[in-house]
Amino acid sequence: MNDWAAFSRDLLQQWPLILAGLGQTLKLTTLVSVTGLLGGIVVFALGLSPYALVRRGVAGYISFLIGMPLVVLLFLMYYGLPQWGLHWSPFAVAVLGFTLNVAAYNAAYLRTAYNGLDPQELEAARAQGYSQYQVVRLIILPQVLRLSVPALTNQVILNLKDSTLAFLIQYTEFFGRMQELASTNFQFFKAYLLAALVYLALVSVIVVAARQLERQLLLPGGTR
Amino acid sequence: MTFFDIVLRLAHGCGYTLLVTLTCSATGVSTGLLLAGLRQLSGPRVALLLDVYTYLFRGVPVLVLLFLVYFGLPSLGLKAPPLLAMVLSLGLIAGAYLGEVFRGALGSVDAAETLAGLAMGMTRRQVFTAIELPQMLRFAVPGMVNEFTTVLKYSPFAYTVGLPEVTQEAMALVATTHRGIEIYLALGLIYFGIFRALLVLIRWLERRYQIPGMVPA
Amino acid sequence: MSIAPLIEIRNLVKRYDTHTVLGGIDLDLAVGEIKVVMGPSGCGKSTLLRCLNRLVEPSSGVIRFRGEDICAPTADVRALRQRIGFVFQQFALYRHLSVLDNVTLALRKLRGIPRTQAEQLALHQLDRLDMADHRHKYPAQISGGQKQRVAIARALAMEPAVVLFDEPTSALDPVLSREVAALINRLHEEQVTMLCVTHDLALAQDIAEQVLFLDQGVICAQDSVARLASDHESPQVRAFFGRADNL
Repeated sequence: MNDWAAFSRDLLQQWPLILAGLGQTLKLTTLVSVTGLLGGIVVFALGLSPYALVRRGVAGYISFLIGMPLVVLLFLMYYGLPQWGLHWSPFAVAVLGFTLNVAAYNAAYLRTAYNGLDPQELEAARAQGYSQYQVVRLIILPQVLRLSVPALTNQVILNLKDSTLAFLIQYTEFFGRMQELASTNFQFFKAYLLAALVYLALVSVIVVAARQLERQLLLPGGTR
Repeated sequence: MTFFDIVLRLAHGCGYTLLVTLTCSATGVSTGLLLAGLRQLSGPRVALLLDVYTYLFRGVPVLVLLFLVYFGLPSLGLKAPPLLAMVLSLGLIAGAYLGEVFRGALGSVDAAETLAGLAMGMTRRQVFTAIELPQMLRFAVPGMVNEFTTVLKYSPFAYTVGLPEVTQEAMALVATTHRGIEIYLALGLIYFGIFRALLVLIRWLERRYQIPGMVPA
Repeated sequence: MSIAPLIEIRNLVKRYDTHTVLGGIDLDLAVGEIKVVMGPSGCGKSTLLRCLNRLVEPSSGVIRFRGEDICAPTADVRALRQRIGFVFQQFALYRHLSVLDNVTLALRKLRGIPRTQAEQLALHQLDRLDMADHRHKYPAQISGGQKQRVAIARALAMEPAVVLFDEPTSALDPVLSREVAALINRLHEEQVTMLCVTHDLALAQDIAEQVLFLDQGVICAQDSVARLASDHESPQVRAFFGRADNL
């Protein structure tokens, strides 16, 4: 039981740092969830372009970023860019790297939802004389976003969990702080267990919020 | 050193990357099948346990679980070698996700066929293995592709526990040459190559075992 | 020689909570006999069939199969089911198996017959139903009428003591329905014992002299369709069977 005493003493001592780390985790998660969503919408919309070249570029972008691990992208920017004299902060690298990656995933979800839309509805909109931009903004996006709510909120959970990756590029988020705590008293098991429980709790909060959102956004008669 | 040389150098680590990805995917598939099978063949109390497992393993980040297993368990007297630590973290997490994929795919099996199997005099288990399982596996292909991709995506974590996989090779190479951009770009391309090869393999398997006209009910 | 019926149902009751689906059914089925049970949808026809192989557990009453109570604690449900062929309304062919394997599956898994031998037996049944040429096709590649015949072959392959048909024509068009009737008559000539539930009057008339009318969980009439349509005292029964003239 001596370990526990030592562990909780160190925990209390480092509490402000850990709490700050948690703040960083939440900041990163929230920020990239927003930028990733906006980026995803842009990429998705570009994927509807009348120009084959743009569409092909978008498909390549999505495929490449889904096929390349996010860690590698982060390393490329954090450890690679200094070669060109660009020294970005871990936070800047994390935000840009996550945004590029999450946008690709979100665009893929939106695309899947789009493929399930009734093509006649879109034809009808074009026949009414809406421009391509108007069709996307007024007809496609509202539906596709609603249909994608489960996938998009799930991505927020993934963002939270993946934010631990930022610790690998020296960003002092929650998991990094717990790592420090563990190495001061060598109580690795306790520290990581506590970390796991905190992530579980945060995930649970997102799950509950996502359910609320889904219920609110449910379209009457929408079965898809 | 040309870009091609870099790719060749890194290719050495691909063996371990593939090893990690395949063992963790295989663990994920077996765990997922076990979860889906147990859910199908046993009562509500077991289902509750399965729900708990699924919730826990889908809620914890891979890196946290990996560190818990690799650095944490030894303090309880349990020491897992690196590959086993990957299997017990990434593999079991993939299992929780695949369990849900399989569960969804089971929902696409026509209930009348299950009933027909029972009416023939099959046991519940025979119905599962002879009728539900072969259909479920086919319906689950898209979800399985997603999950294998995810496993590949997290396989670089193996370097944090000392496995000499391709990311590890890249980091070592960067440390000596300071050519981070080319090296990590090459690394990205290698992963992308593995990803595409995986897709081709799965598409081939899918076609090979395709049943004409069978679509989810 | 035994004169006891193959299946004997006495005062069979099936209740779900407060709702009574079957309210005391008595019915006998002799070897080689065919009986048709008719009635409006929701009358309990399907439940009656499902009680016979215990896909649905009866609430009370007795069902004897070859003189033995099928609900007795010692009764072997799976052995019973292997003796009873069941042809489902939507045929319920296994979509991942070829026509041939749909028929061999039970032979292989339940009888432990080696594949080649099982395939011979299956081909014999498929041939009997003119489906041997389609043996390598998958369910999605054959028509409704063909599926029906595969489903029947699948049931017959186990050499069942009785074949139960649940609405055999509801998924078929009228022309195919006639073919099913002809098929059932042929099986009847071959001494196959059958129990068929349907609300298809044409089918009932084609395959049986007499029909049993099941309404609100009880058998309330038994006679030929023509007499039930014209002479029965209950206007509901007359109305139900009267539709035969409109067909």
